[in-house]
Amino acid sequence: MKEVTLFHGPNHPGMHGNFSVHLKIDGDMVVEAKPVPGMLHRGFEKLMERRLWMNNIAILLRVCVVEPDINEAVYSMATEMIAGMEVPERAQYIRVMILEMARIAIHLSSLGGIGGPTGLYTAPNWGLTDRDYILDIFEKITGARVYHMYIVPGGVRQDVTSDILKDLEKVLDNLEKRLPEYRELILEHPIIQKRTKGVAPLTREQAMSWGVTGVGLRATGVDYDVRKYDPYLVYDKLDFEIPTADFSDAYNRLWLKYREIEQSIRILRQVIANMPEGPVRVKFPGNALKWRVPKGDAYARIESARGEFGYYVVSDGGTSPYRVHVRGASYPQGLYGVEAGMPGTRLEDVAIWLDTMGVCAPEIDR
Amino acid sequence: MTEKEFIEKVSKEFNIDENNFSQYSERKLRVVVEEERVVSLLTYLKNIGFSQLSLITAVDWIDDNKFELVYNLTSWTERLTVLVKTYIDREKAEIISIMNIWPAAKYYEWDVNEYFGIKFLGNPQNGQELFLEDWDDIPPMRKDFDPVKYSDKKFPRREYDFKMVNKSEVIE
Repeated sequence: MKEVTLFHGPNHPGMHGNFSVHLKIDGDMVVEAKPVPGMLHRGFEKLMERRLWMNNIAILLRVCVVEPDINEAVYSMATEMIAGMEVPERAQYIRVMILEMARIAIHLSSLGGIGGPTGLYTAPNWGLTDRDYILDIFEKITGARVYHMYIVPGGVRQDVTSDILKDLEKVLDNLEKRLPEYRELILEHPIIQKRTKGVAPLTREQAMSWGVTGVGLRATGVDYDVRKYDPYLVYDKLDFEIPTADFSDAYNRLWLKYREIEQSIRILRQVIANMPEGPVRVKFPGNALKWRVPKGDAYARIESARGEFGYYVVSDGGTSPYRVHVRGASYPQGLYGVEAGMPGTRLEDVAIWLDTMGVCAPEIDR
Repeated sequence: MTEKEFIEKVSKEFNIDENNFSQYSERKLRVVVEEERVVSLLTYLKNIGFSQLSLITAVDWIDDNKFELVYNLTSWTERLTVLVKTYIDREKAEIISIMNIWPAAKYYEWDVNEYFGIKFLGNPQNGQELFLEDWDDIPPMRKDFDPVKYSDKKFPRREYDFKMVNKSEVIE
């Protein structure tokens, strides 16, 4: 049969951000796929070399649009590693709280987001509604809803009051009541069952050789999670589980995201109960605008919603970083994975493939 | 395996001086090797359990006329992270590709090739475009590339009729 070349994207309901995949189609089967990134390249790595250590906090959030908090946290962690700074314990608890709230927010939007490629348009409305309650808490803590610029080298910008913690508890109670409804409406819905079960499979060998981390790998039965394997902040003091499944298809990856929301709620409750008193930020020796980080380099990483997310930061002792490299969590599956794993998928499942593998275009392009 | 045991094991089995190792955080190490031995060290590390390649990147040390290549490997069984580093000449920026050890390295290397102009021998994508469409200057992440100059050359400068006060002027 004659092959047809089709462009999937740059704009598509199944993609978060502008990312194109050039497909060769035989009938309705993909025989060749070529990722075409670069639509969202904004040159952040080069920009960061020209800006002060503190100034960078304002731009690096945009590296991953849907989940900005991981960027500020991991950049701050790398900088603290180089500078040898100790972060106060209360600040570490607050960081965990922010990161887990962000995880719930992005998992809710991806549980809702599956409505785009499958045609279940109730799901996005539900997901975004509940995400909004989390954003309200973010607004109370940081003053902003999406881009917070809250976690900075040395701690966090501002303390959290007990009223906000009470509000957060209310939101968590409400979310916990809603979760069974999500299961009924989204995960057990006939459309989702039919469109995602067995679709976009990923074997353990593939995941290992591509370097996939996060839910994609955990769905194959490997319990690799940076929070457990290389604990950062205070994750080693908290009690939580790493949900895994035995087969990585679109449905199981969604199911793990649902299970992770439950675990994040569990972590947040422990954080609220155990948060110690004390300072939230190290006092700088001088003007923050003239802050110099000693010579050195470090690679810090964090468990994002899509897997291992890291920053490699190099300092030459100056007022701005010498080099910053962003290791996007969706780099392996978004580039090599598309080329190696997408052939054999049917055309209507391409969007589901990209959505559930967690391909985030802005962090690939940077 | 503690960090110390790992350093002893690798330096003995692979014949690297222990001074080439350093630790920058808990369970996180770096090691520097010569350019010729980097691929065999990576293969060796993969065989002893460092199966995950997180990143390949480069740093341009223009004052020393060197590129620093960085590979980050993780062992999940030992819970150790190693940054493998090597220095190559800036004029003769070439290194052997590790595509046959980690297939996903194709794109990491392509990325470095596009941003730094380092050639990976054995990678078919050298010199092709990935992120930058119709790029017509030296690779942009090199330190001698000046974004302001490039933008002045490429785009007309817009004139504004108000005077911006720089923040730094206010502080000084």
